[in-house]
Amino acid sequence: MAYSTGAPFLLHLTLSRFLPSALPGLTCAALLLALVCTLLWQIAGLSGGEATLFASLGGRDWALLRFTFFQAALSTILALTVGLALAWALSHQRRFFGRSLLVALFSSALVMPTLVVVLGLITVLGRRGWLASGSETLFGVGLPFSIYGLGGILLAHAYLNGSFCVQTLLGRLEAIPAERRKLVRSLGLSAWQRFRLIEWPAVRGSIAPLATTIFLLCFTSFAIVLLLGGSPRYNTLEVAIFEAVKLDFDLARALDLALLQLLVCAVLVTLSSRFRVVDTVVATNPWRFAWPDSRAARALQWSLITFGAAVFVTPLLAIVVDGIGADFTRLVQERSFQQALITSLLLASLSALLATGVALLLAAARRDLVLPNRLGARKGASAVASLLSFSALLYLAFPALVLSLGFFLLARQLPGGLTLWASVALLVANLLMALPFALAIFGPALEKIGARHDQLAFSLGLSGWQRWRLVEWPLLRHDVGMVLALSFCLSLGDLGVIALFGSQDFATLPWYLYQKMGSYRTDDAAGVALIMLVLTLTVYLWAARFQRGGYAQR
Amino acid sequence: MTKLSTLLSAALFGATALTASAVFAADKPELTVYTYDSFAADWGPAPKVKEAFEKECDCTLTFVATDSAIGALRKVQLEGADTKADVVLGLDTNITEAARATGLFAEHGVETPDNLSIPVEWTDKTFLPFDYAYFSFVYDSTKVKDAPGSFEELKAKGDDFKIVIQDPRSSTPGLGLLLWVHSVYGDKAADYWKSIQPNIVTVTKGWSEAYGLFLKGEADMVLSYTTSPAYHLIAEEKDQYKAAAFEEGHYAQVEVSAIVKSTKNMDLAKQFMAFTLSDTFQDIIPTTNWTYPATKTAAGLPKGFETLHVPSKTLLLEGTAVEEKRKGLIDDWLAALNQ
Repeated sequence: MAYSTGAPFLLHLTLSRFLPSALPGLTCAALLLALVCTLLWQIAGLSGGEATLFASLGGRDWALLRFTFFQAALSTILALTVGLALAWALSHQRRFFGRSLLVALFSSALVMPTLVVVLGLITVLGRRGWLASGSETLFGVGLPFSIYGLGGILLAHAYLNGSFCVQTLLGRLEAIPAERRKLVRSLGLSAWQRFRLIEWPAVRGSIAPLATTIFLLCFTSFAIVLLLGGSPRYNTLEVAIFEAVKLDFDLARALDLALLQLLVCAVLVTLSSRFRVVDTVVATNPWRFAWPDSRAARALQWSLITFGAAVFVTPLLAIVVDGIGADFTRLVQERSFQQALITSLLLASLSALLATGVALLLAAARRDLVLPNRLGARKGASAVASLLSFSALLYLAFPALVLSLGFFLLARQLPGGLTLWASVALLVANLLMALPFALAIFGPALEKIGARHDQLAFSLGLSGWQRWRLVEWPLLRHDVGMVLALSFCLSLGDLGVIALFGSQDFATLPWYLYQKMGSYRTDDAAGVALIMLVLTLTVYLWAARFQRGGYAQR
Repeated sequence: MTKLSTLLSAALFGATALTASAVFAADKPELTVYTYDSFAADWGPAPKVKEAFEKECDCTLTFVATDSAIGALRKVQLEGADTKADVVLGLDTNITEAARATGLFAEHGVETPDNLSIPVEWTDKTFLPFDYAYFSFVYDSTKVKDAPGSFEELKAKGDDFKIVIQDPRSSTPGLGLLLWVHSVYGDKAADYWKSIQPNIVTVTKGWSEAYGLFLKGEADMVLSYTTSPAYHLIAEEKDQYKAAAFEEGHYAQVEVSAIVKSTKNMDLAKQFMAFTLSDTFQDIIPTTNWTYPATKTAAGLPKGFETLHVPSKTLLLEGTAVEEKRKGLIDDWLAALNQ
């Protein structure tokens, strides 16, 4: 290393200079890792007390594991196919009324409350749903398939994850440089040849990371499998953990299942971190001309868009149609509804603030460790940076039911009562859930700001609060809004931790809706679902309006 | 961060507790009863029971609903020492031994009344019966023309004939059906489950959800009780809903309640237990829970109940015998459905 004689002094200076901005983030990461280790220790410690590990698991559970793998793999393939087809069609049809709204709607699938989607799908595709009644009137026969079972699970997974990857893939396709398009046009290639030679290479890099994320989400799927599984035949490990606690109160079995889940997820997350994608798509040359598509290709694109939009919107429409008939005056006067609404709004606001704050601190620390003019050149900086990123991905390895089981065991030994620990568990779960997405937005943005403005800011002696107010905040405003909205919606729609902790004293809107769906009061369920849908879409689409202004996209 | 979230959640908890305490500001003692949802519902027995009991106890009676009866038991187990439950109501004799083994329940101290009229002798000092019924599949006779008259006929109906049942791990009707099939088929029960597996639309956590799905048309038959048609007959004046009479006989259910040992209102809880066998409570049962009362009251059964099918053969296993087999039968059932 070719440092000048002043190097040791300079190094000391940089360390003390960047410590104030890196330390809070590093502390957050350390706390998150420590917390998860405590919970893991709770689970492993209690489970290890048995004669042999996994003693309570039988042949049925290995079949369960096999089925979960099978289901997640099928779901992933389906979701990617749907997402790719829609993204391809949308990238060719650049101008039509409502296109940006449609794209925003597709991307909202990420935060759409799963319960609401499931309810909508049942209304449309149930044995007495819209499609079945239509088919009976027209052809005199009902539907040949049932929404309950593997078909329903796959459908719901493809619906939510397929729409969610449209935006990422669309971004990749739109980033294809205009020069390459011009070249293709002059060569007169067919639609298929173009896809194979130009478009597939453009999206290929995103496929592996998207696939692993979707696979993990489907592997740990809870609400969808709980509601559409139809029978214990189609379970995931998450649902099996839930059943071991709630139906059998067999903690030993729940612990074994949780450890198995942790093991599998840890392997998958480790594998997936090898496909880290650099998701800084910079569309330098926005192009204005259309692809020279054949009539057949255009027809295919339009049918894909129309069909995709119809399939996506119909279940949501069903929620609106069913929900409007609900008795809202009675519903809003019901004490249990008021409590659930207040708790949900409070929790969602708190976790939005918490997630945004923690993500900013983590991103700031990561920036300090990555940028070479900060601490990036120091030994070990990149290792600490990876650990930091890993702390934001904990949720994928430590899904909701495992997390809540850990908290549940902790709560039994500590004072404070279940309700207190339930709210802590919910906040932590919601924070962990939002962090991967929040860091993916803040991380690249803060790094870019650092790279572009550090020199000027350092020479002006800007630091701390002043620098944040003058440099970061004006550039990050839109991204902060997006992360707030994202984490708010994710928390609002989550039926994970609450499934284990929910009670008459502590309920959230998803839990309240889940209870209503299981009773006669289906009208109430539709009403609550409508409220959740409107809340989520309003907050998300409001934030999505600004998304184009997000700094990472520029 | 953890410190921060603890603080935040404490604030949140405070806010929730405040709204809760504002409503229950009265200084009357409160008796909390955990029960299954259809008992606690507005149209179930709870509102009338609450009104009648509060007249004589100078207390507040609160029902807390869970999605199933066994769910209420698990809730008490889950909450451990923190539980607010004073009484658990709605378990049946098939699950009492499992409940007894948790050590969470205290003796009820109620003498068995002379007018007790249930399908079994009663000596249990912890669990007290309050009603009984016979499990049965219920169908809509305007939609199902030739309802099955036996398990074999149900099997012969083919895969298009759909039924909805409850999970034996959470629901007492679900467990009842498991034992019913076991009583009829013995060692061949698993084979029977395998053969009707395609007919099962879905397995619900509790009775309400299953019955709701059936009424919405998601299934041709639902596992319920021979007394369920009385609800449609008396409350809705509809006579198309029927219970399918099975020639193998019907499995009976005796529903019980018990005091939670950790209660701080032991006297009040005992008073409530005695109340469940009073004529007042017993006369509320038939037209709200739609089952048979546990005692012969002065008023007798309401009009309409005489039209119901009374099984010629009653099946019911001893509680201890059930507990020996329960886990094994549930495992077999799960395995059969996993085929």
